[in-house]
Amino acid sequence: MFLEAIDIKKAFGPEGVLRELSFQLAEHEMLSILGRSGSGKTTLLKILAGLETPDGGRVLLRGQDMGTVPPNRRNMVYLYQEPLLFPHLDVFENVAFGLRLRKLPAADVRKRVMEMLDSLELPEQARKMPHQLSGGQKQRVAFGRALIINPRVLLLDEPFGALDAETRASMQALLKRIAETFAITALFVTHSLKEALIMGDRIGLMQEGRLKVYGSKKDFIADADTGVQEELAFWREVG
Amino acid sequence: MSIRAFVYRLCRKRVCLARLLVAAFILFPFSFLLVLSFGRRWAYPALLPGEWTLSNWLSVWGAQAGLGESLALSLALSTGIAAVSTAASFWVSRQVAGHRYRRHWLLLAYLPYVFAPVVLAACLQYFFIRAGLSGKVWGIALAQLFITFPYGVIFFASFWTERMLALEQLIATLGGSTWQAYARVLLPVAKDTLMTCFFQLFLISWFEYGLTTLIGVGKVQTLTLKVFQYVNEANIFFAALASCLLVLPPVALLWLNKRYVFSRYFATKTPRH
Repeated sequence: MFLEAIDIKKAFGPEGVLRELSFQLAEHEMLSILGRSGSGKTTLLKILAGLETPDGGRVLLRGQDMGTVPPNRRNMVYLYQEPLLFPHLDVFENVAFGLRLRKLPAADVRKRVMEMLDSLELPEQARKMPHQLSGGQKQRVAFGRALIINPRVLLLDEPFGALDAETRASMQALLKRIAETFAITALFVTHSLKEALIMGDRIGLMQEGRLKVYGSKKDFIADADTGVQEELAFWREVG
Repeated sequence: MSIRAFVYRLCRKRVCLARLLVAAFILFPFSFLLVLSFGRRWAYPALLPGEWTLSNWLSVWGAQAGLGESLALSLALSTGIAAVSTAASFWVSRQVAGHRYRRHWLLLAYLPYVFAPVVLAACLQYFFIRAGLSGKVWGIALAQLFITFPYGVIFFASFWTERMLALEQLIATLGGSTWQAYARVLLPVAKDTLMTCFFQLFLISWFEYGLTTLIGVGKVQTLTLKVFQYVNEANIFFAALASCLLVLPPVALLWLNKRYVFSRYFATKTPRH
């Protein structure tokens, strides 16, 4: 298996946030994780990225234990709800950031950044500063900055949470498209039922510190715990 | 001319006049000091000094007044202390921001100001004497660090927001080391904040009197101490001259701050259409 979490435990104070959580993720697969606020979704992603230390359990990437690997050596990019663009760098340099860290030749950087900006429909914005961009454009730049270094896993923590409904829908479509183009392996955390269904190849439900991953979307829809049945009943009633 | 235009012009004139008055009010003490620094023999009831001379200013670098030496010493001391405190407090405040007892550490940083620097100096004096640092420039430098360093930590506490810490984590997941995070993002983003902190710490050190007097025991003559010395001797011309020298570096720093920090700050805040 490509990414495997085994019996992950984490507590902040007396309260356990993650309780022997386990799941597997195949290569080039996007797993949506649905959960309420405070259900431990962010803590799980931070543990996978190496930004939090678990109290117990193991994270394996291609069978290698990530326990002692620092975040900057994991090649697992964690994306926040906020785009967090570097305010002193323009769009081009923001996207080029990871390549500059790796000291790639300037010509190579230029070629790859322009290709990335093309695929994100942002070539005209290359020399703009972050404060001159809209919310959706900022998030696209954040994706480009993450994707350009070919991360092994992309950890997306409610990346569209701060966007309006229309921009959110177009960003969901864009992410689906680039996920296919770049063959991304990703975990997509959200509290939106609809978004979880749209984005994930498979879907998991986070409840009381445990993650239940469904075999198919049908299984997910059929489970009363997910809230899909309630939602469907509501729309039937309205209709 | 319409009444409206007349009222508008009258108001503009009044605003100009008010501005001139405010400027004169602010500049008067400084210009008066400058005038005094060129004077000699000023006996009551004369309105101005009886003699005008450049000799006061020419004696700045003379051995007798020792003003040049004090100026150089103060400049070196304040620049060094501001630089060391800014760098150290920036790094330490980051460690404090990520610490579970963040609030306790910050409370500790307020202590030198709760007690007042001069009380702190009185508490520390015994240890400075035992360490052989009393009356030494290094002693003064160390003592001033006791007040400038905590100030820097408090100053930077507001810089290390959740957003900044998230930026740092993001850089790590993008493959950056701690050094790269500082060099490529955190320091450039903090540049203006660092300059402002340096400026404020320079001022604290530059105008420091009580602590410097206690630890320096009169042997280390900073420019601020010189001003007080001339005032106590009733040497008004040299007190004015020393005051002019005392004002010059802060004014230069203020100009630099205005030129490179505030102008840029307001430029980025200007809405774009």
